[in-house]
Amino acid sequence: MEIWIIFSKLIIILFIGFSYVHSETGNLAWSILLILLYISMNIPLYLVRMEKIKLCIHLGSFILICYSIQEVNPLFLLLLPMNFYEVSAAFFEKRWPLLLVGLLPLFFMEGNQAVYGLTALFSFLVFFMTGRYTERLTTYENKLDKMRLDMQRLSKSLNENQEYVRQSEYTYRLEERNRISQEIHDSIGHSMTGALIQMEAAKTLMAIDQAKAAELLQNAINISKEGIEDIRITLKNMKPPTEQMGLQRLKLQLEEFSIQHQLRMPFVYKGNIDLITPIQWKIITENITEALTNSLKYSGATEISIDIHVLNKLVRVEVRDNGSGIGSGKVVKGLGIVGMEERTASIKGTIIVDGTNGFSVTTLLPIV
Amino acid sequence: MNVLEIKNLTKKFGDFIAVDNMSLAVQEGEIFGFLGSNGAGKSTTINMIAGLLQTNGGEIKILDKNIASHSKLAKMNIGIVPQDLAIYEDMTAYENVRFFAGLYGLRGAELKERVEEALVFVGLLDKQKSLPKDFSGGMKRRLNIACAIAHRPKLIIMDEPTVGIDPQSRNYILTSVRKLNEMGCTVIYTSHYMEEVEEICSRIAIMDHGKVIAEGTKEQLKAIITDTRDIWVEVKNTENLEEAALKEIKGVNSISIEENVIKINSQSEVNNLNHIIQFFISRLIEIRSLQEQAPNLETVFLTLTGRNLRD
Ligand SMILES: Nc1ncnc2c1ncn2[C@@H]1O[C@H](COP(=O)(O)OP(=O)(O)O)[C@@H](O)[C@H]1O
Ligand SMILES: [Mg+2]
Repeated sequence: MEIWIIFSKLIIILFIGFSYVHSETGNLAWSILLILLYISMNIPLYLVRMEKIKLCIHLGSFILICYSIQEVNPLFLLLLPMNFYEVSAAFFEKRWPLLLVGLLPLFFMEGNQAVYGLTALFSFLVFFMTGRYTERLTTYENKLDKMRLDMQRLSKSLNENQEYVRQSEYTYRLEERNRISQEIHDSIGHSMTGALIQMEAAKTLMAIDQAKAAELLQNAINISKEGIEDIRITLKNMKPPTEQMGLQRLKLQLEEFSIQHQLRMPFVYKGNIDLITPIQWKIITENITEALTNSLKYSGATEISIDIHVLNKLVRVEVRDNGSGIGSGKVVKGLGIVGMEERTASIKGTIIVDGTNGFSVTTLLPIV
Repeated sequence: MNVLEIKNLTKKFGDFIAVDNMSLAVQEGEIFGFLGSNGAGKSTTINMIAGLLQTNGGEIKILDKNIASHSKLAKMNIGIVPQDLAIYEDMTAYENVRFFAGLYGLRGAELKERVEEALVFVGLLDKQKSLPKDFSGGMKRRLNIACAIAHRPKLIIMDEPTVGIDPQSRNYILTSVRKLNEMGCTVIYTSHYMEEVEEICSRIAIMDHGKVIAEGTKEQLKAIITDTRDIWVEVKNTENLEEAALKEIKGVNSISIEENVIKINSQSEVNNLNHIIQFFISRLIEIRSLQEQAPNLETVFLTLTGRNLRD
């Protein structure tokens, strides 16, 4: 902004200089000195930060201008408006009165009114336009900063989501490992120990009672066979409990909600629930929570049904209440719905919101 | 090449969002279906494509050119048959077509030729001197099609062209759509009748509440729901049935028997009907009836939205 004001001051000075040279009056040296003085006062104006010093400088140039008008050339008056606006803009909100004040000298001067009027208007325009656009630029920059922050925040939450997936996978794996070692300990461990004892006994009996030893060995063989079968069964039952966790968590949450708010909340799930990934569970749970809160707030429903259906290539989750719905069928989206949409879109899903029969929110998530 | 490409298209009426951030692309040579119940936003989308309605965001491209900056090109390449008829009742059929063709800059001998061509195409040449007010609903609709195609557009958009007309005209229109397509036109066909869409469309977007909730060929759309079908065979008696052998047939997943009906669940993409029939014949089991229970687009819509297409 400063640069524009400096330029406009320079333009005025040039104008004064030219007119002066053309008018061919004396005192050239004096006026050059005054002009230089003015310049040397007005350049530091934009270098210092302290308001008080700025004010002093303005005062100084004001006196300088007045002196020059009196003693050397009335044309110096042209420099006045810019300095005046600069000083007064800091103290007054309204701009138009300032223009009027700036034009005031018109009534006291003789001759040169047109030139002065033009300069006053020109200075006004330059000063306030640059002011305005600088201000606008600053707000844009602030906005940009804010958007950058938002972006950071969002990418952070994205990372957190990814972290969540990683975390939950890790947790599931840990749990799975625990379960396996428990299972091995409980069944296979026992049978192996059993077989071992029988074989040890057979070894000692071998020389004394061969028939008994053979019987014990047969026992050991049987136990080992069972052990192998156990291993097979354990391995077969060892489905990763990921989906079970998601489902259990959701069930618990629904039960709590149902008791807390005295609502009937039938929950049905169909299809191969195992296909739902942890991040899908996360979004399903969040969407259900959001939809439940909405139903509670707006619908006056007595029943909210939740339905998870795993189809061939799609998971469909519906939360439907038996409340008032939207009579016209024209749902107006609030922040909650927009939030669900954004969340869902982040994993390539879609939301259908329908108010024609109670209120329903359906989440569709592709299975990949 | 994409004849039509829509990106994040949005239309609001006040607070209500009629078309909600919709994106889709229609390729050259397709008959593309917009399937959705009343109020899904089909007509609103079409009116925006036609440039009759301002958008509230997003972009529409015809032949890779944005219609906002190339409205003339878009107009010349699109022919629209609107949901609400746009013909003049007190001008003859011929004059109607000539009027609309004239809007596209056709003149003189060429104009005459094209008008006649369009009237022949819809089978109304012998009625060219009659006034549309004496026409049946189906004939009016056909006249409207003639008005939309006389300038030989690359893309023809028909908005529910079979609502409220007799079955004969309906068939005529469906046949014309196919014929136009064979002649090289890309067609967008909207309807809330799933049979029509299933019959003629090569690709379909299922719309609901201003969004495309699923898109693809009809096979792809059905596969979203399930990759199996049920074949119900009613037989005279089930005594000689060797279930194990039946299960051995390629594609068969499971079998359940209810009285005299054998319900065979089988993979959709395996064509094993012949083998199944052969199975019964070779064992001298008499087939009384045979039904296939496979999903149709109505089932797809119902399963996804929880509502019927026609409510
Ligand atoms: N001019 C309008 N003002 C307000 N709402 C409108 C207007 N035009 C359409 N709508 C609404 O927009 C939605 C979509 O309408 P439309 O595109 O005609 O659906 P379709 O053609 O799929 O039946 C409907 O809910 C309808 O009521
Ligand atoms: Mg419509």
